[in-house]
Amino acid sequence: MDATVYGPESAPRLALNKSPARRILEAAVRSPGFKVGMGVLLLLLFAMVFYPMLSDVSATTINVRARFLPPIGVGDKWIWAHPLGTDQLGRDILMRSVVGLRYSLFIGVASVFMMLMLGCGLGIYAGYRAGWRDTVIMRITDAQLSIPMIILAISILGVSTPTVQSIILVLAMSGWPLYARVARSVALAERSMEYVRGLEVLGASHWRIMLLYMVPTILPPIVFIAVLDVARMMIFETILGFLGLGVPPPAPSFGTMISDGRKYLINAWWIASCPGMFLALALLSLNLIGAAFERARNQVFGGSDGSQ
Amino acid sequence: MYILSYLIKRLGQGLFIVAFTSMVIFTLLRVVPGDPVRLIVGGMAPADVVERVAKDMGLRDPIPVQYARYFGEVMLGDLGRSYVRPQNGMIVSGGQFIDPTTSNMATVSSLIAERLPLTLALGAAAIFMAITFSFPLGLAAGLYPHSICAKLAFFVQSIFVSIPNFWLAIVLIFYLSVQLRWLPALGYQGPSYIFLPALVLAVEISPVLIRALSVSIAQTMQAEFVTEARVRGLPERRIILGHGLRNAAVPLMNLLGIQLSSLIGGVLVIEYIFDYPGLGQLTVMAVANRDFPLVQGIAILTSAVFVLINILVDLASFSIDPRVEL
Repeated sequence: MDATVYGPESAPRLALNKSPARRILEAAVRSPGFKVGMGVLLLLLFAMVFYPMLSDVSATTINVRARFLPPIGVGDKWIWAHPLGTDQLGRDILMRSVVGLRYSLFIGVASVFMMLMLGCGLGIYAGYRAGWRDTVIMRITDAQLSIPMIILAISILGVSTPTVQSIILVLAMSGWPLYARVARSVALAERSMEYVRGLEVLGASHWRIMLLYMVPTILPPIVFIAVLDVARMMIFETILGFLGLGVPPPAPSFGTMISDGRKYLINAWWIASCPGMFLALALLSLNLIGAAFERARNQVFGGSDGSQ
Repeated sequence: MYILSYLIKRLGQGLFIVAFTSMVIFTLLRVVPGDPVRLIVGGMAPADVVERVAKDMGLRDPIPVQYARYFGEVMLGDLGRSYVRPQNGMIVSGGQFIDPTTSNMATVSSLIAERLPLTLALGAAAIFMAITFSFPLGLAAGLYPHSICAKLAFFVQSIFVSIPNFWLAIVLIFYLSVQLRWLPALGYQGPSYIFLPALVLAVEISPVLIRALSVSIAQTMQAEFVTEARVRGLPERRIILGHGLRNAAVPLMNLLGIQLSSLIGGVLVIEYIFDYPGLGQLTVMAVANRDFPLVQGIAILTSAVFVLINILVDLASFSIDPRVEL
């Protein structure tokens, strides 16, 4: 902010003067759900970043002699080198889960980022410019919402060879209409505000108004949707992997690990269970954080949330 | 009369959406690399046969021409014939050579009609289970936002939403079916085979239901008309049933309409895991076999169902709450 700007920014920072976005953030951070979720997420991120650097175990090296080793404390064949045991090809499950988490989280975040950019961009443009542009964009959005995206996704990935990029693209394509709708409704409401007219009178261009003034207003309702969507996209990515349409092997992905592991469930339950636990923990942490944001937003905007 | 013209308008829009969906799927299937003819005629077929079959089937025409022909047939009620599934149910393996223009392939509509009842039964069972489980919990959480029930609802919600459905499916198959032998799991030989897959789907749906129900009940119970109803001396039971639930039903139904697409995704995977012979499993197989007519037929059917259910949801909302604008 420029030093010459007057208004709320230059007033003393009382609680009431804080922007809604800031109050939402503070309320969310205070909630117990957020603390637990953030703690778990940080732990997972820490493991994801540092474990592959510190350990010299490989995620893809096949070692047939070390097949089906159980996790520490299970049975009597376990060894310290493989804390969560090994799979049917003797690959370390902990390392594979950690690297699988990398792929999963990256695909989730990247696809949500893409759908957020595309959806919010189109939504703000439609809501702000209104008229025929609005009609055209919203009709496309409606049509896209009623396409069974999962069928489209598995058709595209099933017929071509899936890569990380194509998976991200397909997921992003399936999710943007929701963001477009939310962004449009906020932009429509914002557009009739006094300050927008003021900016227009002052000669601000449409793009300037949209980028500098509209974008910040749509963030509060969008952030928690985005966090929850990362979790949803991670599930989708795993489903694709499970159907054999995920990150191509030998790269570890949760979906392929669980799908392979289910054949050995009776004798080696850990092959499918451990990656599943990792995924469930990651999803739980994201969902707790997203839910905390949602409640905080409801509190700040006076809407009441059912529980707590 | 008003409702009738509304219906006609919505159905017209719906038809447009279905056409759009089929066009997108049709085009994408043909743009991505991978020639279905090679799969149809078998790996051993000579190149000139491949070309001849492709020409006979019209697969070398420009895509818009192919689509126009296809959509014209769809409008007449003909979804075409499967590329790989003969009428007797046997799937041809890669080495054999068959000519799809002369052999008797099953029609797409018969394949779908065979599987659809099973998927509908699964969906109905799952929604029934989800509602019986989440209704009391969501209602209690909405009515008493600070009670132990609300905390329990939040806890259940967070756990359920974080369990990947197919992982839960595998775990349940392992414990309930393989180890304890309580329930059958794989395939379909009778109604008892529906239970496990429906349970997994219900776990997937219920967190959304619990949350929506508790939020909208809590909001409704703070509304002025509820306070007025109390002043008028109505019994609490009637207030909850007549005012609270009635008003909470509208957002809940809308949500179910929106959730439908992710529900379809769930059905797909669950059927695949449980080897349940429904539409979802058929879809996965069709994609794996590059059975384009079948994939298109399923996509058209799903988007039509989607459109119809959303129209029904809007009509039901209108009849429950006259304030809803059609």
